[in-house]
Amino acid sequence: MVAIIEKRQIRDFDWLTAFLAVSIVCFGVWQIYNAQPNESYWSKQIIGLFIALIGMAVVAVTDYRRIIDAAPIFYAIGIILLLLVLIPGLGVKINGQRAWLAVPFIGRFQPSEFVKIPVVLMLASYFGNRKAGTLKFKELCVGVGILALPIALIMLEPDAGQAITYFPLLAVVLFLSAVKMRYVVGSLLLALIFVPASYVIGVQTGFIKDYQRQRIEVILDPENADPRGYGYHTFQSMITVGKGQLTGIKGDTQTSQSALKFLPEPQTDFIFAVTAENTGFVGCILLLLSYAILLSRLIAGARDAPDRVGMLVIMAVVGGMTFQIFMNAGMVLGFLPVIGVPLPLMSAGLSAILSTFIAIGFVISIKMRRFVN
Amino acid sequence: MKLHDYSQNLPIRVGTIQVIAFVLLAILGVRLYHLQINKGPYYADRAENQRIRLIEIPAPRGAIFDRNGKILVDSRSTYNITLTHDPIKNVEMSERLDVYASGLGVEKKFLEERIKLIKTRPDYETLVLKENATLQDITWVEAHNLEYPELRVELQPQRFYPQGETLAHVLGYVGEISPKQLEKPEYQEKGFGPGDIIGKGGLEQYYDEFLRGTPGYRKVIVDSRGRIQSEIASVPPQAGQDLYTTIDLNLQKAAEEQLAKSATKRGSIIAMDPRNGEVLAMASAPSFDPNVFVQGSSTREGRRQIRDYWQNEERPLYNRSIQGRYHPGSTWKIPESVAGLQQGVITVANSNLVCGGGITIGNKFTRCMGSHGSPPLKTAITKSCDGYYYRLALKMGIDGLIKMVEEFEYDKRTGVDLPNEKISRTPKYYRKTIEKRYGGKWIDIETVFAAIGQVTVDVTPISMLRAVSSIGVEGKLYVPHLLKEFKPIGAVGDKASANYVPPKPGFTYKHPELKVVKMTPEQNKLVLDGMAGVVKGGGTAARISMGESFPIAGKTGTAQVTELGKDKGKLKDHAWFVGFAPAYNPEISVIAIIENAGFGGSHAAPAVKGVFEAYVNGWTPPEDEESDENKEKLKENNSVASTSIKKRN
Repeated sequence: MVAIIEKRQIRDFDWLTAFLAVSIVCFGVWQIYNAQPNESYWSKQIIGLFIALIGMAVVAVTDYRRIIDAAPIFYAIGIILLLLVLIPGLGVKINGQRAWLAVPFIGRFQPSEFVKIPVVLMLASYFGNRKAGTLKFKELCVGVGILALPIALIMLEPDAGQAITYFPLLAVVLFLSAVKMRYVVGSLLLALIFVPASYVIGVQTGFIKDYQRQRIEVILDPENADPRGYGYHTFQSMITVGKGQLTGIKGDTQTSQSALKFLPEPQTDFIFAVTAENTGFVGCILLLLSYAILLSRLIAGARDAPDRVGMLVIMAVVGGMTFQIFMNAGMVLGFLPVIGVPLPLMSAGLSAILSTFIAIGFVISIKMRRFVN
Repeated sequence: MKLHDYSQNLPIRVGTIQVIAFVLLAILGVRLYHLQINKGPYYADRAENQRIRLIEIPAPRGAIFDRNGKILVDSRSTYNITLTHDPIKNVEMSERLDVYASGLGVEKKFLEERIKLIKTRPDYETLVLKENATLQDITWVEAHNLEYPELRVELQPQRFYPQGETLAHVLGYVGEISPKQLEKPEYQEKGFGPGDIIGKGGLEQYYDEFLRGTPGYRKVIVDSRGRIQSEIASVPPQAGQDLYTTIDLNLQKAAEEQLAKSATKRGSIIAMDPRNGEVLAMASAPSFDPNVFVQGSSTREGRRQIRDYWQNEERPLYNRSIQGRYHPGSTWKIPESVAGLQQGVITVANSNLVCGGGITIGNKFTRCMGSHGSPPLKTAITKSCDGYYYRLALKMGIDGLIKMVEEFEYDKRTGVDLPNEKISRTPKYYRKTIEKRYGGKWIDIETVFAAIGQVTVDVTPISMLRAVSSIGVEGKLYVPHLLKEFKPIGAVGDKASANYVPPKPGFTYKHPELKVVKMTPEQNKLVLDGMAGVVKGGGTAARISMGESFPIAGKTGTAQVTELGKDKGKLKDHAWFVGFAPAYNPEISVIAIIENAGFGGSHAAPAVKGVFEAYVNGWTPPEDEESDENKEKLKENNSVASTSIKKRN
């Protein structure tokens, strides 16, 4: 029995998706090395990759439907972790954000990275099992509720960057759950009006803090914003990217922007700038193409998913990843504000790579079971 | 698709998400194209600019010597002990405070302040703990290198004036360029920046471009905090050219000694070679120590001293020789005599004019100091007869006086190679004011006053010396000057390289076109006879005669400050003497003005004699306690100078 499952699993395992993801991570390890050749970030990332591969394999061979059944339990555990991290003795404070839990032997991990998975499962489980027909108001409220609880806790850390990555999860699930097109168009229009309006009101009422306002205003004119203040990171990032030109500086670590410390956090938030500096336009486009192929593979898997729940899980993962890639690269390329969103599969950090591979594990698990039933 | 019925057009919605994802990635691609391909070279340039820094290597400033090669100004190396923040970031400093205080001999309170200050500064920053560190301090710091890596010894070249107050006005001093100067286009054009050291006053300012040399630079890579990572290139500086002045240091010291001995210790003495305009000595008292400006501006003590210099009522910073304007009194009669002969008011054959004990203009009687009958010119000069000159000037008229001013160039700067020379003021300058005051007409009484160098006549000592000296050399009005020679300096760098700095040739003073006061030899001799008579029996300065072997020709002057001859305490008359020797073949001309001292013959003339004696006999400054120290300093500095010269060669 086990052998039969094993054999079928090996045959149906989505090797290409896994290979693409691992390739991007390896490319990322090289860039982390370029960013900080004298630090251990790159070797830690390799260890992280192995841990993440094990995590992915475990999730992939497990029947996703059994995990979905347990979604409320995972969700509850996630909420508990987000609560724990807020307790001063347990949560570790870095750069003013209490976003990390210290775990013996493993080091620090970031619950807000992982809780995305139970949230996706919870949303998929609820909206995947609803009756056919247009979305009811009550269902919408439940969906918002599932999302609101973790976001509220993450905002208490406070980590606006992570919190913002939760929104596309619900947006995708609602979009695919028969929400009427006129609501979609309507809410988009509302957002177009509401976002700038709330920004203006927020600035005037003081709800948006001065440093947040400056970060946003920098985007409008990074070169003339105070080059030593908030514009500094954005402008330095743009210099780093532009400097790469067509083929990059090919690992000249002596004069790189990160070696001379012009680029902040080069191994995490600004890893895309390091990539651009070292591999140039060619390397960046190859990376973006790899993302495009990976996303296409995932979407293809969603189309072939055996049930709505599986389809929603995959599409939520796709939505979350796309959003993070765009937010991170947009920040690096100087047209989105500087908020701490890591670049999926590239940024150094065990939490981010592990959670992404677990999500990919789900996708593989779902694809493996498309012919069952 | 089997899930179709659960949702409206599910495949289209999934497809929509896919399209949105691709569009977002495409936006990133387009943005990348813009930043890396369109603007790539621009950003590469920006990156290059922010990581490459040019660090200037200051050029050693040229030294200044007297005509015999004695050192007047040099640059010497001084050392500062500095404190760096980085090594003591997490160190408890209370114990080290005592160690520093005893090791460096610095006040503990000052150290406390410094450490408190550095803790608020960025990691890489340093602060000076002790300036002008002694060899002992340096040894102490080096010996504790491992325990206290935060302490370092830094080299700091500093301009040094071994002669102290001697010749200070001529030499000037150096200092950081001021914000006001930086705004001026003439400094901007030459590429000066904040913190640049430039000459301020004196020869340091006048010949700054030759003394300063060409700075070299190091091209280095720095990180975002400006810390040097590595050096790409280095171009050595080209030292400034050494300046040999016309000054004779011994004569200068003799002149200053005379001023120091004078009644008020205020005044000016200038000695010049009348045959070429070389200034042998130029003293102005009171004086100042240029070292205070160079070393002192960073200490509280020094700043107080500088403020004192600026606020002192006796104006020690002011070079009386070229900036002081005084009524010349009777010294004015010498150019006037020449003018009278030139203009034909008197002749060599008949130069007699009535003295009359004075003159009455309108109802005002202006007296002569004596009663000289109807003297010829020679007697008028020898006795300094005012009555004679009242009538001479009245015959010349205001136009004649102005012609004289122009002939002897009192209406111009003498052109001495020093900055901020003042122009003398004469009836030519005041004419309009006077005419306005008296309804559009010049009045005779002003001519009478001008005749004896009062009221409308204010001249600088340098312009008077220049005018009177010309009479000893057939009317040649040489421009007084201090530059004897600039020494050449060798090229720096490879001729083929872009950083090549060509050699600079040496040069000597270039005389402008020579102006000659026109007079016949007979006229010239007549005036000379008069001047020689001044320092002979019966003359106003007979007491300073040095005998037939060194005959002096000159003229005394006593310039009224309030009322002639009255002792008004602080406002006593200015005493003048100007002359040259040997009388008929002069080698040296000297002028002295002692402010508010009284009669010229008794105060200024002996001072001039002192300078002549020093010239004839040679002169060494008197020995006193200080001089040993000075000699020591001089010796030390000479050795520094000779090594630096060697290096430059």
